[in-house]
Amino acid sequence: MPFAPTMLERPQRWDAAFGAEMTDATVARLLATAPFSQMAAEKFPKRTPLCEILGNDTRVLRFRKGEIMVRQGDYGTSAFLILNGTARVVLKPDLAPALLGRQAPGKKGVFRTLAQLWNGSRPAEYLARQKPGQAAGLGARQDADKVRVFLQDIPRVLDHHRTAEMFAGEFFGEIAALSRMARTSTIFADSDDTELLEIRWQGLRDLMKYDDALRAHINRIYRERALASYLRATPLFQHLDKAQLDRVAEAVEFATYGDYDWSGEYKRLAQSGSVRPEKEPVIVGEGDYPNGIVLLRAGFARVSQKFGGGERTLNYIGAGQIFGLEEIAHNWRTKGSAVSFQFSLRAIGYTHLLIVPTQVMEEIVLPSLPKNELPPPVQPAADHFDSAPSASGSQPPVARPESVGAEMLEFLTENRFFNGTATMVIDLDRCTRCDDCVRACAATHDNNPRFLRHGPSAGRLMIANACMHCADPVCMIGCPTGAIHRESFAGQVVINPETCIGCKACFTNCPYDAIRMVEVRDAKGEFLVDQEMRPIAKATKCDLCVENHGGPACERACPHGALGRINLNHLDALSKWLKL
Amino acid sequence: MNRFRRQFAFGMLALVAATVGALWLHQKFGALPNHAFLTGWALLAGMFGLTIYNARKKLPFLPLGSSETWLQVHIYLGFFTTLLFLIHLNFRVPHGWFEITLAWLFGLVSGSGMVGLFFSRVLPRRLATRGGEVIFEKIAAQRHGLQIAAENLALGTEAKSLFIAEFYAQRLAAFFSGPKHFWLHLAESRRPVSTLLAGLEELRRFASEGERDKLDRLAALIRQKDGLDYHRALQLALRLWLFVHIPLTYGLLVFTGLHIVLVFGFSGGAR
Repeated sequence: MPFAPTMLERPQRWDAAFGAEMTDATVARLLATAPFSQMAAEKFPKRTPLCEILGNDTRVLRFRKGEIMVRQGDYGTSAFLILNGTARVVLKPDLAPALLGRQAPGKKGVFRTLAQLWNGSRPAEYLARQKPGQAAGLGARQDADKVRVFLQDIPRVLDHHRTAEMFAGEFFGEIAALSRMARTSTIFADSDDTELLEIRWQGLRDLMKYDDALRAHINRIYRERALASYLRATPLFQHLDKAQLDRVAEAVEFATYGDYDWSGEYKRLAQSGSVRPEKEPVIVGEGDYPNGIVLLRAGFARVSQKFGGGERTLNYIGAGQIFGLEEIAHNWRTKGSAVSFQFSLRAIGYTHLLIVPTQVMEEIVLPSLPKNELPPPVQPAADHFDSAPSASGSQPPVARPESVGAEMLEFLTENRFFNGTATMVIDLDRCTRCDDCVRACAATHDNNPRFLRHGPSAGRLMIANACMHCADPVCMIGCPTGAIHRESFAGQVVINPETCIGCKACFTNCPYDAIRMVEVRDAKGEFLVDQEMRPIAKATKCDLCVENHGGPACERACPHGALGRINLNHLDALSKWLKL
Repeated sequence: MNRFRRQFAFGMLALVAATVGALWLHQKFGALPNHAFLTGWALLAGMFGLTIYNARKKLPFLPLGSSETWLQVHIYLGFFTTLLFLIHLNFRVPHGWFEITLAWLFGLVSGSGMVGLFFSRVLPRRLATRGGEVIFEKIAAQRHGLQIAAENLALGTEAKSLFIAEFYAQRLAAFFSGPKHFWLHLAESRRPVSTLLAGLEELRRFASEGERDKLDRLAALIRQKDGLDYHRALQLALRLWLFVHIPLTYGLLVFTGLHIVLVFGFSGGAR
């Protein structure tokens, strides 16, 4: 029988537009609106023309007065441009967590702690009958298929908080979108029919690439709002005075690598078993001339070395870590014996980084460093193909601890587990499979365990299906009500069951399958249903016992010290735990 | 020094120190008239300390410290209490059915605890080394799946090899029908699976190319089933000792209570 393949058109970038309702008329209207009217359309390449970017990477959103547009602490993939109406940004003090759809931070009191003794007899996934947004001062309304959360008492908000008005033509959210950092302010609509243009990350990237004015505008905002404070907090620059720091800031270049929506792509690759370092975007290539140090601002990157026909992972580095300092310092100190980059650096997922050019390093930064803070000279490896990673040649920027073997490192990197700040790591050499951890979790959450003692393993380590409280929490992108949030800045990721509407956005986004959708019940154990008799679902996951005294119950309940909640952003914590 | 070695070293040190101390006290005060009462109450306090670990396990949401620390204290206290028990007995053989039962209960509780300690320190490493993490509750379902697959391979409608079917009926049917070789797996013996695989290897001489492929697949299923049996045996052992340790602890507590009542009821002028 002859082979007859199924033919279909090769998928293209804009097969699915960001906003299904974007029409030619809307695009024409946008093209006549600043700043797009001032952009030179001819500068855009033919395959990504300006009109197509606007038509496919943007969408128009309309808000009524009081409706929250972005929340402080949320993660988002989009920037916004006010097209019509006004918005208001909350400056100081921050809005109370309840007004953002979040649960108030804090530990359980004595009575609630002791009440857990008898709450275990409640039906599984019991939830008192509530509607989303019942928190005082917060409402929710359904517009078409979207849920909008609004502030009910705007005058009170204005009385108690310093705010600033924003007008048509103003951008916001671009720094958080580009650098993949938490949004720093809450912004709500200040007039009915406020119209926003939401520009997804890919579109913003291209607009910046081909429009000098927008790029200059965003770079200026970035330098003003985020860069100076970041550089000041970086130990490498601590010996610089203000004038020197300003010169460094002026010379810094920004770059982003990888796929912003890496979690979806990663899931697909992982399922097909084709996660390979060679496919990751190269930030710095082994053997390249070192033209600047790389500071990772957000995301993760793999440090690798050529090995046989492929690449061997030596380590991964995360936000706050530096690559290339060793080579540049070596070349600065030993004129005439310049070395190239000893390792490759590749973006894993999405990486936002800063590059400090070599010239600035040599003129300003390196002379300011005390001798004992300079890295040791580089010893180029004679033969990368035959040598062990550290047997000869230079150490990678952050050397892999001995207790974390090469196989384990590959496992953590391939599965993107380095993202977790409180990853549930189980040492199978110690674990007696007694399930005390699961029982403790259930007892602490009204008889509902919030993780599975099962998951991928390598050697003696197993990473259980429990929320890792990621450094890059992709689950928090797109929550319509703000129910999933960080308990505090860079804190635990928790879900407020009162404002969760069961939309599955977080469940779908999580690349680690750490979020579960459960059908909630009333006090009698009956399923709660909506008007159409469909069960009400809520997203649930490990909350790291954030309300409980004493830390995560699972970790404390393990009689053999086999379970740890480990920060895998760096390998130090894992190494220390393994050595215990 | 890793954690287990450190705990073992500390444990041994504590045990030796406690033994020397207890024996010295026994020698010095062993002749006192209220010696049995003193050691008896100390023993009761030790037993109370041992049993509250179970209460700690039932209250994981209270900030009562880590279970690991509690277990270590439980182990050290367990060794010390055993020693105290011998001193309380004055190193003599108990007599009378009540005293003998009490001593047996104490011995079984202590002994099962030590077996449990040994298992919990040794078996997890063996499970990890064998690989293929399996959830205990899912083993039966997985085993059933393997049984179906093996039956289809050897006896299914497409199976036309009489000698394979015969081998399956005689040797493999029983092997796939349920969990096997608990004790041999516990003793880390590979004899049963090696015997079966050797038997299968023997058949290769008579097999065509297609049948050899079938034998290879059967061998893979045998290895998987053996792996499941291994996991079941070791995980069961890690659970079973508790089914002795905890119920007998309750029995021991009841008998201890009765013992105290009897002692105070019938000791007369011994106090």
